[in-house]
Amino acid sequence: MPLYFGDLIPYAGELFTGLLISLGITAVAAVAGGLLAIGLYLGRASRRALPRRLAGAYIEVIRNTPLLLQLYLIYFALPQIGVNFDPITAGIIALTLNNAAYVAEIYRAGFESIPTGLNEAAAALGLSRRSTFVDVQLVPALRNVIPPLTNQIILLFLASSIASIVAVPELMHVMMGITSETFRTVETFVVGGLLYFGVAFLLAMTSKLIETRVIRWKVA
Amino acid sequence: MFQSFGPDDLLLIAQGAVVTLVICSLAVVFGGTLGLALGLMSAGRIAILRWISAVYVGAIRGVPVLLIIFFVYFGLPLAVPGTDVPDYLAAVIALSVFASAYVSEIVRGSIAAIPRGQFEAAEALGLSYWSRYRFVILPQATRIIVPPGIGFLVVLIKDSSLVAAIGLMDLARSGNIVASLTANPILSYLVVGAVYFVICYTASAFARRYERRLSTRAVAPGVGDSLVVGSGVEK
Repeated sequence: MPLYFGDLIPYAGELFTGLLISLGITAVAAVAGGLLAIGLYLGRASRRALPRRLAGAYIEVIRNTPLLLQLYLIYFALPQIGVNFDPITAGIIALTLNNAAYVAEIYRAGFESIPTGLNEAAAALGLSRRSTFVDVQLVPALRNVIPPLTNQIILLFLASSIASIVAVPELMHVMMGITSETFRTVETFVVGGLLYFGVAFLLAMTSKLIETRVIRWKVA
Repeated sequence: MFQSFGPDDLLLIAQGAVVTLVICSLAVVFGGTLGLALGLMSAGRIAILRWISAVYVGAIRGVPVLLIIFFVYFGLPLAVPGTDVPDYLAAVIALSVFASAYVSEIVRGSIAAIPRGQFEAAEALGLSYWSRYRFVILPQATRIIVPPGIGFLVVLIKDSSLVAAIGLMDLARSGNIVASLTANPILSYLVVGAVYFVICYTASAFARRYERRLSTRAVAPGVGDSLVVGSGVEK
């Protein structure tokens, strides 16, 4: 069967809607996961054993099990105890919980990379506690955090395709629908693949731009 | 109608775990080999090979693994009419393609981490391209490759669960089957999750230990190190 992309033209709108839903669930999971990760990071960096262990266990369990399984648990298993979610909510919850564990590790790596000598130097210079935290720790840590964070958002966007397995009407799900209606499998995958790639590429470019333009002037 | 969760279900999950380990091992072998070749291409001097490698790696890393799996399973039979790709073959091909792109990046990064002096010394000794890599560069790069390599292995094992979507009876899908047989999805998925966790956590723990050992054991300074500008002090 020769390649023919014409059959896909009537589906352009559907593909676009699917892409928007993919971007939407990625954005929600990125923000919610990023906030949840602050709590996880604080727990992990806590001096008390209990929050440290709980946060550590959460992060390890999430990072060492497949996202697909986490989604299965939320969507297929929780109804067993009377907790029901529609596909989109289940997809967003799974991506958020998953993303938070990875982002917490990114925060940790970012803060741990600040040498303790800097804190001592700040104390020696008589900087206030607030100024020490903001100028000596937070800003340099953010500089270390932003590149891996944008990389994580790209991975999250690509992983959002897994939500298609529980019938979230995002891009991958739309693609599967189109292939079963048109039998233009290769064409659909080329177009869908380009859409995924395009977004991932734009995100990567934005990341580079932030790295070179926005962060550089903050270099201490 | 439903059976309670019993030894039969554990057996099914164990079989699924074997399938997952087998397809991942095959993907490591094929993807690793292809990835090494791609990594050498991108670290080399021939522009066209660097370009091919960069486009391949960029394209694979820019699309979801699930898309690669579906493409191989549903798309390949159409591209070559009359062929039928069995699910396990599609799984191995897709995961190998996925792995090769990431392995390539790891190999390239490790080669880039080898001090330039090593390349120059190998060249000064009159070693051929292959001997340079075989005896000088790759033995050193291997040590650097191991930690991120195992990190990727964990990613591969987790992402291999997506082959359940094309019907292969891997660990994730065995969880599905057991969940519907026993009508106890919570227990089924927790057991399957525990198996994944044990496999992945063992690998991660090994990588961490290896990394600690690497960083504590001081690397003996090479004879020529102090002569090479850019080595030593700045690091």
